[in-house]
Amino acid sequence: MKEVKRFNPPKKELALHKKLFNILSFNLQLIFKNIRNRKRSTVIIILGLTFSLSILYTASIWSLTSQKIIADDYVESLDYEMYVESWQDDIELYNHMYNFTTEDPLVEQVDWIYPAIALFNYEDKEDTYRWFPEDNQEDMDNPLSLSNGFVITNRAMDRISLNLEIEGNTSLQSGEILISYTQAKQLEEIFNEEITPGYKINLAISRRIPYADRGETQFQHFEIEDTTFENYTVAGIYKFVGHNTIIDRLIGGGATESAGTIFDSIFFPADVLTSYDFYRMINWGGIFPRLLVKTNAQQLRAQGIENMPDNLLALRDRIQVSYYHAYCYVLDHALSEMTNEYARAFGSTNLFVPTITTAVFLTYFSTQITIKKRREEIAFLRSKGAASSQIIGIFFGEFFIISFISLILGIGLGILLSALIPSFGQNQFFNRTLFNRYFMELEISPYDIEMLSILILGSYLALTLLNVIIYVRKDIHESMLVTQRGQEMLEISVKIIAFVLTIAGFLFFLLLEYRKLAENSTTFGLSLISASYRALYLFIAVVFFSCYFLSLGVNFILRNMKIIYDRIFKKSGFFIHKNMLRARKSFTELTFFIVVIVCLLTTIVVIRSTNINNNNVEDDYRYGADLRIQSLIPVNITEFENQIQSIEGVQSAFGFYSVKASVRLYDVEVFGIDPLKFLQVGRWIDSSFVDMSAETALTQLAGNPLGVIMSNFLVERFRKNIGDPITVQDIRGGTYEDLIIAASINSAPGLGVAHGYDPKMNREVTEWVLVNKEIIKYSLGINNGSLFLATTEENADIEYISEEIKKINPFAVVNPEKINPDYIGYFINEHIPPANNILLVGAIFVNIIGIVYIFISTDFVLEQRRKENAVLLALGGKQSKVRKNIVNEILSFMTTTFAIGIPLGFLGSIVTLTFIKPLLMTREVIPVTLHVSPLIFIIMIISLFAASLIGIIPIIRKQMKYEIVHELRAVV
Amino acid sequence: MKDAFVSVSNLSKTYVSKGETLNVLTGTSFEILEGELICLLGTSGSGKTTTLNILAGIDRPTSGEICYNGHNINEWSLDYLYDYRLKEIGFIFQEFHLLEHLTSLENVMVPLLLNDWKEEDARERAFNLLKQVGLANKAMGLPNELSSGEKQRVCVARAIANNPSLLIADEPTGTLDSKTGDDIMRLLQGISKKNKMTMVYTTHDPYLTKTASRIFVIQKGMIVESNAKNLEEVGYGNIIFGKNDKGEIL
Repeated sequence: MKEVKRFNPPKKELALHKKLFNILSFNLQLIFKNIRNRKRSTVIIILGLTFSLSILYTASIWSLTSQKIIADDYVESLDYEMYVESWQDDIELYNHMYNFTTEDPLVEQVDWIYPAIALFNYEDKEDTYRWFPEDNQEDMDNPLSLSNGFVITNRAMDRISLNLEIEGNTSLQSGEILISYTQAKQLEEIFNEEITPGYKINLAISRRIPYADRGETQFQHFEIEDTTFENYTVAGIYKFVGHNTIIDRLIGGGATESAGTIFDSIFFPADVLTSYDFYRMINWGGIFPRLLVKTNAQQLRAQGIENMPDNLLALRDRIQVSYYHAYCYVLDHALSEMTNEYARAFGSTNLFVPTITTAVFLTYFSTQITIKKRREEIAFLRSKGAASSQIIGIFFGEFFIISFISLILGIGLGILLSALIPSFGQNQFFNRTLFNRYFMELEISPYDIEMLSILILGSYLALTLLNVIIYVRKDIHESMLVTQRGQEMLEISVKIIAFVLTIAGFLFFLLLEYRKLAENSTTFGLSLISASYRALYLFIAVVFFSCYFLSLGVNFILRNMKIIYDRIFKKSGFFIHKNMLRARKSFTELTFFIVVIVCLLTTIVVIRSTNINNNNVEDDYRYGADLRIQSLIPVNITEFENQIQSIEGVQSAFGFYSVKASVRLYDVEVFGIDPLKFLQVGRWIDSSFVDMSAETALTQLAGNPLGVIMSNFLVERFRKNIGDPITVQDIRGGTYEDLIIAASINSAPGLGVAHGYDPKMNREVTEWVLVNKEIIKYSLGINNGSLFLATTEENADIEYISEEIKKINPFAVVNPEKINPDYIGYFINEHIPPANNILLVGAIFVNIIGIVYIFISTDFVLEQRRKENAVLLALGGKQSKVRKNIVNEILSFMTTTFAIGIPLGFLGSIVTLTFIKPLLMTREVIPVTLHVSPLIFIIMIISLFAASLIGIIPIIRKQMKYEIVHELRAVV
Repeated sequence: MKDAFVSVSNLSKTYVSKGETLNVLTGTSFEILEGELICLLGTSGSGKTTTLNILAGIDRPTSGEICYNGHNINEWSLDYLYDYRLKEIGFIFQEFHLLEHLTSLENVMVPLLLNDWKEEDARERAFNLLKQVGLANKAMGLPNELSSGEKQRVCVARAIANNPSLLIADEPTGTLDSKTGDDIMRLLQGISKKNKMTMVYTTHDPYLTKTASRIFVIQKGMIVESNAKNLEEVGYGNIIFGKNDKGEIL
């Protein structure tokens, strides 16, 4: 009856349905059974895939989330992003502009501010009182005190106070003012009384005359009588603690040497002024308002962090197009710097790419080993009549399920890491608040997740199936007695296809990224950084290719070192050499991966040491000398120099005289120095000057009273040579000096680069030039300065010296922790760990992956050799001898691969450094020289070597413990 | 009476696998005199290979005593046992167990190198041994390029490389056709005689017992006959059908 049924199948649709169900159910059972039975290899593959996926997901999620949080925080930390003014002195126009700006969707709020000059101790001064410069007033025993004064609404005050640390009240009531700590100290000196909150004071506010320091020498220009305010209360004393503020941009060239910044300003309330006060201020005093514009952070970053400066500039354009007379100052530079720093910081996370790549390869090789181990299973299924497609289907099902599990775990781990990594941020301690915040505000791009999953899992499944197909085919070939060489060629072809596929995947990914970037990129720096890490990707691909071809060379060497094996290992040399010669069951199968691991490890460690060393050297150079002393209030240079030098332990000290000027169209800062002292005190380096030593250059300057040292950029820009004359004009607005070029300079200790923007030194794009101090001191009558450098005796007590200096000048900061605390990079680093930390973690991961791979592979190779070892033991080989032979073989193999991988890694680090400089440093002040930290290098390389060797001993022992009889019986 | 070269008494071997106990040898005893050519005849699973493995020192008995030249090898340390296997025993495996990555010559060199021979000397001796087994022309051939008969010849050469006193062959013709099997047996007989080696070999093929000086019959882990000179004495039919002298199924 059964046979009849077989020949009379039911309806076709139902049969197909049932058949499919049966096949599916059978195959699924087989697949799950296979996964269950191979727990160890399954776990390793899942871990490898999960790790690779999660890191990539983390990069995407973390990037999106952190840029959102950083942008929001940064914009929130700025008081305003723009101010608007008009050259038409008409208050009605300001009202129009106010309404227009308020309605712009990008704008959160618009506030009023009246920038002016505040004067104290003016009461007994005549209109003809000479005040210029401030410290050279007619009556220095009873001087006038000047500062920036801002009449401001309370709402604006709330925003500005974000950047202020205030002792007393922030909110200003009628008859109250907020003054700076610097101004309070100046007033204490003048009035000889302590100024604390509650102090009563008279002041006048006056119109700020543009470039007041350029020829404005008479007091009466300030027309103070119309805007005096008497008996005001000092409500609070503030210190500026922010980084970027629009208030600073409202201040012109600086009325005095100290009152050029928010450090020396006062605020008083607009809300409580009467309309008459405003009338007086605007119509009589000529003090016109500015509009302070606060943008909406969410709107500003809506099209991505990189578009923020553009969005801000677009707002400026909208206002200026509508109001031709309007002038808008935007903090786009600050935003650009933020986006650049963000891109640089986040770009540095790309340094983790090699680690991900090695993890992908580890996973791939682990899978390959698993498939190799299952050759008999494939042969068995074939012998039982299974079609190739069926076998491939089973393997596909297995690896698909593994991939799916990895995908789920990867997403989960990716989300967790996206919140976890930034919460360790800069200080490497867990920050729960930041973790919670990241976790709550996670920004996930389904597009990124899809693309990354397809890239990793797709290429992984493709490569795995390719391997299965090879083995399914190989089974047939073996039965047809295909030569071993043929098989080797087949394997090499598969590997090359695998590489090409991986690189193609990378390129595809890069292309997508590039397309996104090309649509959005606005700044050169950002493009440079992006280009930099794209170059890094390609370089990694090149490294992998090089390592692959090099590993063929390494294997050639290993196969031809018989003389060395014989000499070192004596009678064991024969066995070691023979094992190196074989194509299968040999450690030479590991060569490629070990060369890659060693090469990457060396590269990462060398880049990290070089970067740390370069940062340290650069920081030293930026500090300029043993002691860097910055005074918040300018002090008499000669006097302070002498005071510093009189402290025990100080060898020599000097101060910089400085004044603003211009060379043709370029704004420059002119530093007056004592060249020979600067030579002695400063930490000069070979690359400081162009084609000249520091000694020659500074001696030349000292020998020529009218000499000037200029940046190489200016010398070349004006096609000048050493010895040519050049005019430095507009010194303090009018005077000029004809000088002779004594040298051209790249950078100087303590001053940073002579051309271009140096964010760590807080230098704007102005150039600086060096002249003899006498020019500034005697020709311009400037005696005060705020920057001093000093050199100390060997073993001098720096702490003691610092305390002594502070006793002399309480406003002095000695060797500040950060030269420019406003450097935006520090702000970003709160969210993104520095490149060096990333490199260290990367190195540790590469190390772990390397060790795991060596363990897995050694186990696999020895597993394959179990029967051979049993034969050797059965023939009378001693266990200790067989074991020793294996250890010697691994030792020879690893020594050779390390010996090749390390120099390749050094070579790699030189090339990588040239690519990734923009990621590692904000500006290359000092030429980067390769540096190796022996300790870290030894720890990393030796730990990989030693841990691998020590770790495989238990594996070898385990392999030796099998019973000979059992092994001889086993079918391998 | 001549002293026994190898004397085995109450030898038993028990394997425990997944909680199940399998008694492979159940207290067997026999003696082998020097220069004898012993054939161990038995059906599959009767304990032939286990007996040989214990004799060769690559397996340990559960109980019993094996005296080699008057010494109880059970009392030897592992190092002694390695030396015993290397210098005193020549083992020929049914499945050849040649090292795939080595040539015929190199396979024969292995025991010599393990015995601390210099490579050049080992190479010379291995070549001579291959000549002796008629395989000089295949000295550089890899095992997968040799026929089964040739592989077994390499095994023979490898087994006698260190000039052992006891040659042990586990079903040396088990995977060979009858003609090649005959050739191998003749070769083994010749070599053992020429080198005055004692030889023990196993087979389940009664036809191959004719070269033996004595036939041991092993059934269910026990030597049931140790003095038969030929098949008739053994009871040929019973061996084939697995019955005892009384015709009872074993």
